[in-house]
Parts: sequence; C-alpha cells; structure tokens
Amino acid sequence: MVINKKIKRTMLENKSQYLGSLALIIISCLLFTMMTQLADNMSSLTDAFEKDYVQDDATFATAGGLDNIPEMESRFGARIEEGASFDYEVSKDKTLRIFRQNTKVDLPAVIEGKNLSGGDILVDPSYARANGLKAGDELKVLDGSFKISGFMSLPNYIYILKNETDIINDPQTFGIAVIGKDDFDRFGKGYSFYSIKFDQSSDFDAPGNNSDAAGVNSPDINSANAANDNARIEARKVQFRDYLKAKGVIVTQWTDIGDNARVNYVKIKIQGISDVSRSMPVAILLLTCIMTGIVIWRMLQRESIIIGTLYAQGYRRKEIRRHYMMYPLTIAAAGGIIGTALGALTLGPMLTVMVSYFNIPVGSISFNAGYIAASLILPLFFLGVSGSFVLQKALRNTPVDLMKGMGEKNNVNFIERSLKLDRFKFATKFRIREQLRSLSRLAFLLIGVVMATMLLLLGFTAKSSMDNLMNFGFKDTYKFQHEYVFKALQGAQPPAGAERFSAASVNLKSNKDASFELVGIEPGAKYILLKDKSGTSLNPDQVIITRPLAEKLKAGPGDIIAVVGKTDSREYTVTIGSIAETFIGEFIFMPIEQLDKQMGLPAGSYMGLWSNTALDIPENQLFSARTVDDSVRDFSKSMEPIQAAVGIISFMSFIIGLIVIYVVTSLIIEENKGNISLMKVFGYRRKEVNSLILNSSSIMIVIGYIIGIPLVLTTMSMFFKSLTESVKLTLPVVISYPYIIIGFIVIWLTYEISKSLSKRKVNRISMAEALKAGTE
Amino acid sequence: MFISVESLKKSYGTGEVETAVLKGIDLKLEKGEVGVILGPSGSGKSTLMNILGGIDRCDSGKITVDGTVITDLNDNQLTNYRRDQVGFIFQFYNLVPNLTAAENIEVVSNISRAPLDTDEVLKAVGLQDKKHRFPRELSGGEQQRVSIARAIVKNPKLLLCDEPTGALDFTTSREILKLLQQINKSYNTTILMITHNTAISAMADRVFRLRSGEIAGETVNEKTVSAERIEW
Repeated sequence: MVINKKIKRTMLENKSQYLGSLALIIISCLLFTMMTQLADNMSSLTDAFEKDYVQDDATFATAGGLDNIPEMESRFGARIEEGASFDYEVSKDKTLRIFRQNTKVDLPAVIEGKNLSGGDILVDPSYARANGLKAGDELKVLDGSFKISGFMSLPNYIYILKNETDIINDPQTFGIAVIGKDDFDRFGKGYSFYSIKFDQSSDFDAPGNNSDAAGVNSPDINSANAANDNARIEARKVQFRDYLKAKGVIVTQWTDIGDNARVNYVKIKIQGISDVSRSMPVAILLLTCIMTGIVIWRMLQRESIIIGTLYAQGYRRKEIRRHYMMYPLTIAAAGGIIGTALGALTLGPMLTVMVSYFNIPVGSISFNAGYIAASLILPLFFLGVSGSFVLQKALRNTPVDLMKGMGEKNNVNFIERSLKLDRFKFATKFRIREQLRSLSRLAFLLIGVVMATMLLLLGFTAKSSMDNLMNFGFKDTYKFQHEYVFKALQGAQPPAGAERFSAASVNLKSNKDASFELVGIEPGAKYILLKDKSGTSLNPDQVIITRPLAEKLKAGPGDIIAVVGKTDSREYTVTIGSIAETFIGEFIFMPIEQLDKQMGLPAGSYMGLWSNTALDIPENQLFSARTVDDSVRDFSKSMEPIQAAVGIISFMSFIIGLIVIYVVTSLIIEENKGNISLMKVFGYRRKEVNSLILNSSSIMIVIGYIIGIPLVLTTMSMFFKSLTESVKLTLPVVISYPYIIIGFIVIWLTYEISKSLSKRKVNRISMAEALKAGTE
Repeated sequence: MFISVESLKKSYGTGEVETAVLKGIDLKLEKGEVGVILGPSGSGKSTLMNILGGIDRCDSGKITVDGTVITDLNDNQLTNYRRDQVGFIFQFYNLVPNLTAAENIEVVSNISRAPLDTDEVLKAVGLQDKKHRFPRELSGGEQQRVSIARAIVKNPKLLLCDEPTGALDFTTSREILKLLQQINKSYNTTILMITHNTAISAMADRVFRLRSGEIAGETVNEKTVSAERIEW
C-alpha cells in the first residue's frame, strides 16, 4: 500500500518515541537471549561434567578406615573410593590443596594440557591464572617438585572454596591440585575421606542383603524405587550409614552432595540467572508494550482525521489496521532481531567469565532454538497484542468521529474532574492536571521509574544487607577470633582461653530436606553471644534456636523438634528454650554436655575450639581453621563482584530510566505543543514554559522512587529466602540511608538529563502552532 | 497615536520562491479605539496581526505601540511586550482542554504583573457559575467568553482578536461582540479585530480593508453602532 511509505517518515518524525521503544526491546531481548542461553549452557555443562566425571553422592570420613570397600560396592550398587588431600602452605596466606588422583569417583577433568604421569601435577585454572602458572612450569610441593601437565576441574570442587562455610573463593590465596597416587603416597601425609557414588540403575535391589548383614531395620528400598532417583539414592544413603554403624564404623563427617557448598553455589547461581532471565526481560517487555501502546495511541489520535479520510476514500478497516499494525510490529521485529543477535554475541564472553568463575570444563556453546525463537516471537506477540488492542479501540469510532479528532483529545478523565485544586498555585494545578491527563502515560512513567529504582537499588540492597549481616549479625554473635574444627573427636582438656564446641548435622524428622546444625556450647560460653528480641543476652545453658531456623520450622519456646542425625541416622528430640534474634544461620545451640549425651559421644568430648588467640594445633588434626578476619575478608571480597554488578545494574537502570522519562517527556511535549505555543504567545518565558511542562513529572519521579523502595526490599527478601533455603545463610534485607540518597540522586540525574534533552524540543515549538490550531 | 504602522513589509520564502505577504502597510489607531481589519483569505490579515502582537517579525518598516517601537525589540523584550501589553483572542479559542475555565484564565494571570481578579473577570464575561467547568463542558460561545476573560485578565492595553466570532452562530457572535464592546468601554482597551464579516465593521472606529498585502482602503466611523444592532 502506498500509505505504508509514511511508516518510515512518521517514525523519523517521532524518533525519540520509536527509538525509545526499540532500545527497550533490544535490551529486553539481549538480556533474555543472553541469560536464558547462559543458564541453559551452564546447566548442560554442569550436568555433563557431573555425569562424565562421576560426581559423588556424598563424601564422608570415618574414625578408622574402611577395609571392605569392594564388598560394600557390590552390596550397595555403588562406587566407593578413598580420597586423600593435604593443604600445602605455598606461602603465608596462600594454600594449595593437593588431592590424590581418584579413578572411580570425583575424577579430575583435564581442561587443558595432558593427564598425569609420574611427577606431574594438575592445577585448577583459576589458581594458575591468579598466580601466573603455565603448563610445563615446575611447581614445588613440600620437598617434591612437579611439572604442571595441565589444568583441571574436580566435579566436587566446582566452586573452589577453602572451607565449606566460606562464601567467596579467592584464587589468589587458595587453589586445588591433583597428583598421581604414587606421588601422593610418597609424602606419607594427608586427610583421608571417602567418596561414594550410587548406581543410578533403578533395578538395583539390595535391601535383603543389607538388613540381614547389618542386622538393622533399614528402609525399604523397594518402595523407594517407586519414587524418583533422588529419593532412591537418599534411601540408599541411609541404608549405607546404618550398615556402617552396624559394622561399628564411626562416621565423623558426612556431606551430601546437596549440602556441598562447592557444588551448591553453582546450582544457585544458575537458578538465579535462570529466574532473572525470565522475569527481568519480560518486565522490560511489558514496559515497552505500554510505551508502544501509548505511542501508537497518540499517533492514531494525531492521525484520526487521516484515518477518517481514508475510510471516506473507501479504505477497508482491515487495510487501515494492517497499516497501523506495521508500526509496533516493525519495532518489535527490528528490536527482536537486533537484541537476539546481540544476546547471542555476548553469550560467548559471558559464558567464559562464568565458567572461569566456577571452574567447569567448557564444551562447545550450544544455542537453544526454543529460546531464540521465543526471543524473536515474544516482542512481536507483546507489541502485537498491545498494538491491536489500541487499534481496536480507535477503529471503533465512526469515520465522522475520526475526522473530528476521535473526540478523545479533550476528554477530561474522572480523576481530573473530581480534583479540587482551588487552594493551589496555578503552576501546581497545571502540573497536577498535566500528570493526570493521561492515566496510561502516568502508569508508564510510574512503572518505568519504579523499575529503574528497583534495578538500581537491587545492588545497593544486596550490599547493604551483607554489610548489615557482617556488622550486626556476624560480629555481634561471634566473639572469638579463631575457630578450629578437628577431623576426629577430641577428649583432651582444651588449652587455656579456648572454649569447646561440638556440632552435629541433622535432618528434620518430618522433612528430610530440612537440614540444620545442632551446636553444643559450653555453659558459660563467652564466644557466642545470643540475644533475645529485647536485646538481653540469653543464658547459654539452655536450648536456643536461631530466628531463621525458628521461622523455617515454625517453632517457638517449649516446642519439641524431632530430628535425625546425618551421620548415625538416629532420632533425637530437642525442646526449644528460647529464640535468638540473630541471622547468622540455621542453628540450635545447646549445652555441649547435653549434645554429647544425646549423640552418644563420650562426656567431655568436643569437635572444635574457639579462641581469641591462635592455638598451636598440628595441621593434620584439623578439618578446618579460620579466623573471624577470614570471614570479614570473605565478606569484603564478596562485595567486590557485587560492587561491579551494582555498577552495571545502575547503568542499566539509568538507561531504562532515561528512555522512559525521555519518552514520557517527549509525549508530554507532543501533547502540549499547542499549549506551549500558546504560552509563548501569552508572553511566558522559556524558563517558565520549561518549568511548567518539563517539571510536571517531578512529583511522579519522587513517588515512583518511594514506591520502588519497599518493592525492592520485598523482592530481595523473596529472592534471598529462596537462596538461603539452599545455602542456610539468612540475610535480613535492609537498605541504608546513604544508598537511598545515592539512588535518588541517580534517578533524579536521569530525570534532569532527559529534561535538558527535551528543552530543545520545547524551544523549537513555534508560536504559529497556537495560531494554526483549528479545533477547540 | 496608540498604534502606528509604517511601511510594513513581510515576505515568506521557501528556497527560491519568495511570497510577499505585506507590501508596505501604513495604519494608525488611537488609544481606546476599536479597529477592524477586513480582507479575504491570503490578504495578509493574520500576518499583520501576528507582527502587531509580537509573535512574528517584519522584514522592514516600523511599528510603534503606545510609544514603544516593537520592531526594534529583541526576543526577550518582545516576550515582555506580549506578557504585559497584549491580549489575544483566537477564532478557535485555544483553551487548554484539561484546565477548568478559571484555570485557563489563570494561565495568563499567573504571569501578569497586575492581573485583575479571576472571579471579577469571570463575572464580567458572565461565567461566574461555570468557573469549574472544563472547556469540553462549555458551549462554543462560552468557550470564547473564557478566551476573552483570559485575554483581559492582564488588563492589556491592546486586545488582538483573530476572527473572534468565526466559529460561532449569529446570536452567540453578537453576544461576544457586545462583550468586546463592553470591555473596550469599561477598561478603555484598544481592540484590533480581524474578520471576514463586513457587518462587524459597523461597531469599529476605524476599518482597514486589506487586499493582497496592501491597505486598499481605510474608513473612519464617526458614528459607531452598538453590537446589539449589528445584523448579518
């Protein structure tokens, strides 16, 4: 159709509005494509890694060694391998954890270089990169010298944390390496542990054997077979532990793969990316829909006389509809193609960054055709729907009404009508009316500002919350400087100034997925300070549950909680005495003697020590040793990526805010052309016109920002809640006042920039506009 | 002389084509007089009015209004001139659609140095009881009354009316003309009106006939008639 020639011309005449819509769609499709493909690729890379390199189902340590591994393997349809490691202090504050090469479970995946032969060592690439190590370099370990044959990843160390309780990895100070069995054994040292991987085959059936042999009442695996693989494996784990217990083997430590932070963090991150990849681009797309809808509606109003004339000339409704649908669809198609292409282009670098962060061997990048199609179709769908909705509404008018300007231009909505503004100054009245004149425009502005605010404050809130946890959660509760956790149960008198503690991992009896720690502390414990709601210190000679766990279990003082020990599968009950208002995690604190007695441990035994001074404990006795400074450093380190993310997100919110405010301002200017011209005729100065027209959105910016704050706190709370379910770290969501002020300054700056960009438009409107006005 | 226009020329050019719209206009009007400019479409009426109102500039010539040579004024001074001395009334009222009648008047009183009271002006145009109505809720005549109220609220020395009755029926037009005559008398406001309607010239002190950018004739009415008696 000849009239389609005007599509390009109309778009060029209203560049800001169409380019704004286009930019939002591009951002939306870019994020959607990049993030969904990233999550998809990371997920498939991780799954393949876990499967191909036989990730364990659990690791455990025992008081004595296991001497009948082949028998246990056939009995439980599992692969069991004894692993070993020791920490080599490369220098002060730099540790390399050396592993013995496994051949059955948790196999090292060679990412680069070649596999081990005698005298070789495989190093994790992050550590190598951070410490300038290359393949072929010599690496000294204790008194031996090894040649770096290449770089590797371990499926149980995807996120390389020194301690399981760490939050952030630091390849500068910690890394892992694997050496051959003979080389390792030559050192004659190391912490021994076992990795177990159960056969996925559902036809494995060993209940009879197990019960008979162990003489314990084990769960019925046949019934578990009917459930999914995970349930079956969980059942087999319980059965296996029962077997060990029956054999008199004391399990000193047990970590299910689901509780392994070095694997969990990756899953959480992928889940996070996956969640964000769905919600954020869709939110931006919806914003674009409203915006494009408004832009098209304005155009239809502006062109109603033309439309009426086209009708009068014999054009059919569907021809007119087809023409006007070309506007949103052109924008959607162009934005979709450009955004999707950019998203595909940025996937490679993003995946490289993420993979290096998590230490996953990279295969080839795969593109999920479904997501690509969705990225191309979604904007067409969304904008098509909003465009056709608006067109439907406009074309309902008769040609005569259309030729009269659709009768909409001067409509006064119910809010405007009901407002009593007499007591206000003229400028205030004008600005209020200007905002209320178009409710869709107002909604768009508000949603845009709220979204920009939420994006902007997302990073600030994360940082504030972690600062808060650090200052008011961690430091207020933990009063020690050093924490030592032993590999085996201790019975000796602790050194002077040190305080004993014990810990036992348990599952809730009624819900095996809910796991937490029972921590035994000394009756007069000084190094753990627990307070109630009123801020009064709680006496440590009672059972105290932390607030996050109390909320999770919906438990309070006097309640009895039934739990099952992870290492011994025995049932215990704990009666809650008080709730501690702390966010450090999910714990039940109780007197150490009570815990030891319940767990059947020797009186006076303990698993760890807290102290304010460094204790001289041989390294080979320790499972972990950390200081509060380590935690502080971890937290500070963990802030660094957040700060970078805050920067990126702030920039994005700035761009979205700028687009939204600029488009709304240009819509206001467009709609007020006549009024602006009239004001100029009446003798309004530029400053006065700008003040009336451009400043009319100021109040909405403030309101949008204020609405955004509780929304971001709620969203973050929900996000943290889902996150902390997996990592057992509870973050009370807060945002500090300086960040609120900084956020406001950024949003206001966005507003000021869009205003100054719009000033030229206002200045360009000539007084002749008012004189040409042909309608009321 | 309140208004003096001497040898006023104005042409509009687009590229190589230049059209002379005003070809040397001379015109004078005394303080408190009502002037009517009659002429067909394209005769240059609106251009002359725009230049007189300070919203357009001439190519040559001189215009003096109440002692001020407005052709010598810069943009800021022209803004002040419009702001303080000139009131505009348009054929299609040009009201701000989402402001009430009273608020439309405030659009101008808001920037005036010594505006009249809005209610007083509304009463003067007979719309006191409709001050909270939006333009859409008013008839054409009522809208033009609001437009007149808006123009006079600043108590201008000069009232420029561009076809003030062009969009109205006979009865309403006569009401509006009556109102303008009343304002002229009450406030001693000089009024210059553009119209196609020759009948209106009966109420003017001076009538200027414009043809192809030139004054084709000027008539001084010794005996002006009351707007009530005008017929067409």
